[in-house]
Amino acid sequence: MSQPIDAGARLSVRSITKAFGSNVVLKGIDMDVQPGSVVALIGGNGAGKSTLVKIIMGIYTADSGEIYMEGKPCRLGKPAASLAAGIYLVPQEPMLFPNMTVEQNILMGIDENPISLRRRLNDLLGHLGWKLDLTRKAATLSIAEQQLVELLRGLMRDARLLILDEPTSSLTFNEVDSLFKIVRDLRAKGIGIIYITHRLTEVFDIADEVLIMRDGVITLSGPVKQFTREMLVAGLLPPDAQLRSAKAASHPVDYANTEPVLVVDKLTGYGFKDVSFKVYPGEILGLAGVVGAGRTELISTIFGRDKVLGGKVYLDGKDVTGHKTSQILREGINFVPEDRHYHGLFKIRSISSNTTSALLGTTEIGSVNMNRRKQNAIAQKYVDDFRTKIVSLEDLIGSLSGGNQQKVVIARALSTKPKVVILDEPTRGIDAAARSDVYRIIEQLKNAGVAVLMVSSDMEEVVELADRAITVYQGRINAEFLHEEITQDALTAASFGIVPGKGARQ
Amino acid sequence: MSSLRNLLHARWMSSFVFLVLLFLITGLADPNFLTYTNVVNCFNTATMYTLLAIGIAFVIMTGEIDVSIGATLGITAAMTGLIAQQGGSIGRMLVVCVAVGAAVGLVNGVGVAFFGVPSLIFTLGTNGVIRGFIYIVTDGRTVENFGGDIAVYGNKVLFAEITLYYAIAVVLVAVAHIVLTRTKKGKYFIAVGDNLDGANLVGISVLRVKLLAYVLCGIFAGIAGYVFASKYRQVMTVAGNGYEMTAIAACVLGGVSLSGGLGNMVGAAIGAVIMSSISRLLVFIGLPSDFNNTITGVMLIIIVVVDALTQRRSIEMTRRKRLLSRTAGTAAEGGKR
Repeated sequence: MSQPIDAGARLSVRSITKAFGSNVVLKGIDMDVQPGSVVALIGGNGAGKSTLVKIIMGIYTADSGEIYMEGKPCRLGKPAASLAAGIYLVPQEPMLFPNMTVEQNILMGIDENPISLRRRLNDLLGHLGWKLDLTRKAATLSIAEQQLVELLRGLMRDARLLILDEPTSSLTFNEVDSLFKIVRDLRAKGIGIIYITHRLTEVFDIADEVLIMRDGVITLSGPVKQFTREMLVAGLLPPDAQLRSAKAASHPVDYANTEPVLVVDKLTGYGFKDVSFKVYPGEILGLAGVVGAGRTELISTIFGRDKVLGGKVYLDGKDVTGHKTSQILREGINFVPEDRHYHGLFKIRSISSNTTSALLGTTEIGSVNMNRRKQNAIAQKYVDDFRTKIVSLEDLIGSLSGGNQQKVVIARALSTKPKVVILDEPTRGIDAAARSDVYRIIEQLKNAGVAVLMVSSDMEEVVELADRAITVYQGRINAEFLHEEITQDALTAASFGIVPGKGARQ
Repeated sequence: MSSLRNLLHARWMSSFVFLVLLFLITGLADPNFLTYTNVVNCFNTATMYTLLAIGIAFVIMTGEIDVSIGATLGITAAMTGLIAQQGGSIGRMLVVCVAVGAAVGLVNGVGVAFFGVPSLIFTLGTNGVIRGFIYIVTDGRTVENFGGDIAVYGNKVLFAEITLYYAIAVVLVAVAHIVLTRTKKGKYFIAVGDNLDGANLVGISVLRVKLLAYVLCGIFAGIAGYVFASKYRQVMTVAGNGYEMTAIAACVLGGVSLSGGLGNMVGAAIGAVIMSSISRLLVFIGLPSDFNNTITGVMLIIIVVVDALTQRRSIEMTRRKRLLSRTAGTAAEGGKR
């Protein structure tokens, strides 16, 4: 099954598996990194890329499998052991000590005489030709400079394998260019590099080999020269993706004769720029994109949780730009957050209290003296509508399964009778049976004339439900698809920055 | 030149300026406050707070807290008194104080670093346990009537009205300061408090660093307990009650951030002097000393709130800067398709 170990490889990974609880994240990963080569590791959200590199770095321990560094087996399991073996991970968000100087940051944790260490650092800087003020505090550095510090940290430890986790996700265009120069420089010095990215263009710019992961397995690997973009996109998709196509719309929206309920016009905020789209009553608009593309920032800004830097948001023709969350709720937009446990639930309250908690500001369930009967009546109605599996309305919400909890959260959002509902990853962490229930609820919403904005990184979900879809790439909307144009490969390609000639409107 | 600039920008410098201003303003109200004897006494009476403050500074630096040091001081003071009653040597007292302090620190460290119990809760628990032990050890009676060497050294003046114990405390401050800022392992304390995941990623054993911080904190509290017994020669069962708050306040006043990763020992020591001076200067200003706790409490809250707000602001600023740079590059790349 697993290939023999190549003694010349910098790093060889064999049959690595890892599960978190019952969720199997890695299902037998084999991988080789040769000296002086850049291996691009790509894959959608939840494919297992981060888990794999965290195992190599010793942050997680693998359930089974072996890791070899230069042909010798390694027992990793804590970062110190990986560092000693010559591995260094540059995390996606640099992990510096903000209150220390650049020099202290680079040298922290290296066991060596400080005088020779400092000389080595100066030699290295001269050798690389980088200019960096060593006495500056790390908190004052730009992201690009912080990444340089991270790279220096690795090089000062004589790292022979560098792992770069989405190094360009927070860099400007010029900074990306100079990072690529550095990566090529390091490659020429014989260092093996694992390069994780969400941008397919970068694969062709920088990588020698490419490795695509999906659902914890490697679906495609080999020298970059052998592949085209289309082949890479195909590798990112599930095997039966091409066969799936959107089913006929149950209630097609008459766009010509309907006024949009939510209009977002050239909205700019932290993490997104010039975003324009419309949502019509009785339609589901899918908002797709990879993590970090700016989806979450976009919707939390519309919901009044962050500052608007430019542009407008209209609800039913009324300007609601920059209103506070409580106001936005009253005006008719509701939001079902991605992380139920963190933002969505009052875990030690009953199902009935949770369902009606959004009504606490109104007089519908009584103001001082809560009307228990009314609360229960509202809760019971949603339990029946949504087929939520409960024993009693008085049970704690924490006793329900993930899918049923999600139904309660959606019910709460609906109890305020909103005009627009924003759903962020509505089926994340929910089992298949409950998933179809949630889908049915979303369809019901649509049929009731509510405008639904559904944010999802699960392309299958968007194909299944959306009447229209837009994709966000690096903080901008880069493509729009009408119902019949929505396919998994089109969405996936656009999320990774590749927009086909046809299908792109706007 | 640059070292002078560094000195002026040092975080403890503002605490020092605050201390000087405090003295000068009180001096304006009553010039008698600024006599040499009185000023030196402000420092001398800060001995115990200084020891407690540098001990707990190690823990606060790693981002944790220890509220059991007052009780640790109480039990080691009581044990010192009991040994003195039996005519034991000072060496024996110090060994017992250090050992008991280290043991308490080890328990706290294991609870917080190994089992991951929130440090405030865990050390509040050990605080209660130790307070109970004090009653068991002393039969609930005040330990007093002991003499010998320990009584001789209690208020012994070394030179120029500076007491022996304060001089030793200053030496310990200097040693702790050098360990923390100049040695490799010392910097680990700051690193862990500054960025826990980052420290882990560069191979620092967070568990070991936190454990060591608690043990050092306990040892300093033990030494402070010895000083308490030697100075007052009377140890009540409630000895050291509330001292943990004074020590934490001293650290915060001295520029040690409660969120960890910022500050140093010199600052903590200056903070200790500020704390011991406040009750003294109230008398000179003409306010009853009953105001002592209220004033230190208000000062503590103001500093902690300002500290938390600036921290939150800087985190928010970096987040926004990062998000903005994400969209900044897209225009250029859009044309490259």
